[in-house]
Amino acid sequence: MADDLNRIRSILNTHRRQLLDKANVVATGIGYKETGGAKTDRLCIVCSVKEKVPAARLSSQEMIPSAVDSTPTDVIQTGIIRALQVPTDRFRPAPGGVSVGHVGITAGTLGCWVTQNGQKVILSNNHVLADSNAADIGDAILQPGPFDGGSFPQDHIADLTQFVPISFQGEPSGCQFANAVISVFNLGCQVIGSNTRYQVTKIQAEDNLVDAAIARPLNPADINDEIFNIGPIQGTVSGELGMAIKKSGRTTGFTTGEIQQVDVTANVQYGAGQVAVFSDQLLAGAMSQGGDSGSAVLDDGNRLTGLLFAGSESTTIINRIENVFSVLGISL
Amino acid sequence: MRWIAICTVLIFPLLALGDDPGMPPSIQDVKKQHEAQFFKMAGVVSVGIGLDSEGNQAIIVGLDRTRPETESSIPATLEGYPVVVQTIGTIRAQ
Repeated sequence: MADDLNRIRSILNTHRRQLLDKANVVATGIGYKETGGAKTDRLCIVCSVKEKVPAARLSSQEMIPSAVDSTPTDVIQTGIIRALQVPTDRFRPAPGGVSVGHVGITAGTLGCWVTQNGQKVILSNNHVLADSNAADIGDAILQPGPFDGGSFPQDHIADLTQFVPISFQGEPSGCQFANAVISVFNLGCQVIGSNTRYQVTKIQAEDNLVDAAIARPLNPADINDEIFNIGPIQGTVSGELGMAIKKSGRTTGFTTGEIQQVDVTANVQYGAGQVAVFSDQLLAGAMSQGGDSGSAVLDDGNRLTGLLFAGSESTTIINRIENVFSVLGISL
Repeated sequence: MRWIAICTVLIFPLLALGDDPGMPPSIQDVKKQHEAQFFKMAGVVSVGIGLDSEGNQAIIVGLDRTRPETESSIPATLEGYPVVVQTIGTIRAQ
């Protein structure tokens, strides 16, 4: 047997290049010959092909001989062999679950493709696609995100089209009455020669429901409706206590969890000490880390139930998909 | 005139249904009512509805770290619903 293997090895070494040069062949190796679907105990040279083509459609050049130096061959169909991709790679077309980001951020996760006015758009978080309110509509979105080597213009996949502003605590107030009162106050300060000026800030910002934004692709060919490592989305479902969930994200890849709390109100820290209050959230156990923001959250039946955006060492906070869809006017 | 009186008699109880003293408040109502008080306590980062260790619906209060003072000022039950305190850590945008 060992003699056989060594003999076939040297035959394969001699003929490998010639076999791999045939249009359809993607790999060669040594294995047991299969006859009529059953494995035999005879060693042979196995040629893996992109697809099996009837002999009648092949030229004699392209045909794999039934034997090489009296060693039999076998032809099996494997399809194109690709290097295994990781979510931080560049993907075209790009599915959900991979790295994405506004030109000015590090990187987050492309949640999934959704529809607005008949147009497919990328769904992710405001803090991923719109730099936490700092972006302008039309800004470039890169896949992968800047932290993963994405650069402009090579990796420019989409343009920011809409985001839901996040209301932070302690922001300058938009209240006209309070601002008018304070400007009179500040005038008084100026009159009496004081250098003190007052500013109206929100003590209690409005509760946020979602951290969400969408971006329109430059090229429809870059759209892949599926989610990396999960597959196609099978509709939507409202998140409930005890529901088993999963996500595919840029940093921790495919993870699973369970909805442990509903009706959650939570204080969420954004970067440099900014805090935003979110209500009507879903809470799951630890299933994400920095960079997973924007991940689509699905149930056992691959139905979309939420948009992941925050977490602590032991929890993950998720926007309800029904809130995301209604605030942005989008659907699957 | 009489039909106005009849309508009033019929409609009034419908309007009053919302705060019928015979109906216990839902856990959602109780949570909503007490949420602001919890967020005034040091270290409270979340308030939600989940299950306690016996599988009963409970109000879950999340803390950024162990906070004996806050924990001691949170009641064990609110209007009949259990209140559970969990240390979950600071919640950050990811």
